[in-house]
Amino acid sequence: MKIYTGSGDRGKTSLFSGERVSKGDLRIEAYGDVDELNAMLGALAATAPPEAPELGEEIRRIQSDLFHLGAWLATTPDSPSAGMLKKLSEDAARLLEADIDRMENGLPALTGFILPGGHRAAAWAHVARTICRRAERRVVVLTERENHAEPLSAVLVYLNRLSDYLFVLSRHINRIAGVEDILWKP
Amino acid sequence: MTLPDKGRSVPARYKTAVLQRRQLSPGTVQLDLVRPHGFEFTAGQKIRLYRGNVSRDYSLASAPTAPFLSICVRIVAKGVLSPVLGAAKKNDSFSFTGPHGYFVFHPSNRHPVFVATGTGIAPFASICRSGVSGVTLLHGVRDLKQRYYAELFNRSAKQYVACLGSRKNPAQGTYPGRVTDFLAEKLPPGDYDFYLCGRREMIRDATWIIDDRFSGARIYTEIFY
Ligand SMILES: Cc1cc2nc3c(=O)[nH]c(=O)nc-3n(C[C@H](O)[C@H](O)[C@H](O)COP(=O)(O)OP(=O)(O)OC[C@H]3O[C@@H](n4cnc5c(N)ncnc54)[C@H](O)[C@@H]3O)c2cc1C
Repeated sequence: MKIYTGSGDRGKTSLFSGERVSKGDLRIEAYGDVDELNAMLGALAATAPPEAPELGEEIRRIQSDLFHLGAWLATTPDSPSAGMLKKLSEDAARLLEADIDRMENGLPALTGFILPGGHRAAAWAHVARTICRRAERRVVVLTERENHAEPLSAVLVYLNRLSDYLFVLSRHINRIAGVEDILWKP
Repeated sequence: MTLPDKGRSVPARYKTAVLQRRQLSPGTVQLDLVRPHGFEFTAGQKIRLYRGNVSRDYSLASAPTAPFLSICVRIVAKGVLSPVLGAAKKNDSFSFTGPHGYFVFHPSNRHPVFVATGTGIAPFASICRSGVSGVTLLHGVRDLKQRYYAELFNRSAKQYVACLGSRKNPAQGTYPGRVTDFLAEKLPPGDYDFYLCGRREMIRDATWIIDDRFSGARIYTEIFY
C-alpha cells in the first residue's frame, strides 16, 4: 500500500468521510489519542511476562477494537461513509468486563491507592490507562461539540471500561510476575 | 488514516483465470477474469492479485453485476507483475483476495468530480457501469490513444474531459493541460465531492488546489503509485 502523498504537508488532512480538516481539529486529536493508546498496547504486549501467555491474544483483540473506534472517530456520523463502518456493539465492552472480573478474582482487595509501576508490562499498562483517559476526555468534548450521541456513546463506554481493564491488568501482571503493589503512603 | 477491511481480518482468497485479454491502448490491457462463485464487491473496490510470491493491487473496472471481473493494467517497463498480466493468455490462472478498500461512490447533494491519471480511471469505469451518471470526469492522459473507456464516459458523464498535459494542439473534447490545471483554472466555483485516483503527485497537487479553491469540498482518494 502506498503510504504517502504529501497532501497533508500543509497541516490539513481528510477525514474518512472526506471532509478536509486541520490536523489540530478535535476529531484528529481524539483518534490520535486512540492511535497512541494502540501503540502503547503494542509495547505492553511486547513486554508481557511469559507467565501470562493469554495476554497476547487479549491485547490484539483490544487493538483491533481500537482500530474500529479510530475509524468512527475519523468519520462524521451522518456521512454516507459511516455506513461502511463496522457497527460498534456493546459486546466489546462486555468482553472487557469479563476480563476484568476474571483478573480481579485472583487479586487481593485494594486497601489504598497504589503507585503506578512494578513489572515493566504493568508500568506500560498504567501509561496506557492514562492515555486511555485522555482519549476519553477528548471524545467527551467532541460529543459535546457535535451533539452526536450515537455512535460516540459506544466509544465512551468502551474507553471507560478499557481504562478500568488497564488498571486491573497492571495489578494482574504484577501479581503473576511476583511483584508487590506499591501502596501510596501519604 | 488506514482502516481495516470491513468486518474481516483474513480476506477470502479466490482462484481465477483469464477469459480474454483486450488491448485498450498501446501499453495498457484489459483482462477479463473468471468471476468466482460468491465473490461480491462494491464499484470502486480493488482486488489483490497473486502470482507466486508477488502480489499487486488492481481496481476492478467492471460493474458489480457483470458476469466476469475486469481489470485494466498499465504494463510498466521492468515491472514485476504488470508485464506478466500484459502477456497473459486465455486460461492463465491467478489467485486474488478481496474485495478491498473504501474508494466507493458516496451519493450526496454535492456535484461529483472524478479525477484520474492513466489507469486510475479503472474504479470510475466500475462506478459509472454501476449506474452512477451526471458526473464531471477528468482523465489525465499522455496522448489521445490513452482515452480508454471514452465511449462509456461520453455516455454517462455530464462532462468528460481528457487532459492532455501538453499545452499544444488541443483536440476536440480535450483540455490542453494537466488535470490539476483544469481544477485550478476551469472548474467553476461550487459544492463538490472530489474523487482522486492515480499518481500520488496528482493527488497531492489536486488536494492543495481543492483546499485553496473549494472550501467545504469532500475528498476521497486512491493512490496507485
Ligand atoms: C489501490 C491500488 C490500486 C491499483 N490499481 C491499479 C489498476 O487498476 N491498474 C494498474 O495498472 N495498476 C494499478 N495499481 C498499481 C499496481 O498495483 C502495480 O503497482 C503496477 O501494476 C506495477 O506493478 P509491477 O509489479 O509491474 O511493477 P513494480 O515492479 O512493482 O514497479 C512499480 C513501479 O511501477 C510504476 N507504476 C505502478 N503502477 C503504475 C500504473 N498504473 N501506471 C504507470 N506506472 C505505474 C511506478 O513507478 C512504481 O514505482 C494499483 C495500486 C494500488 C495501490
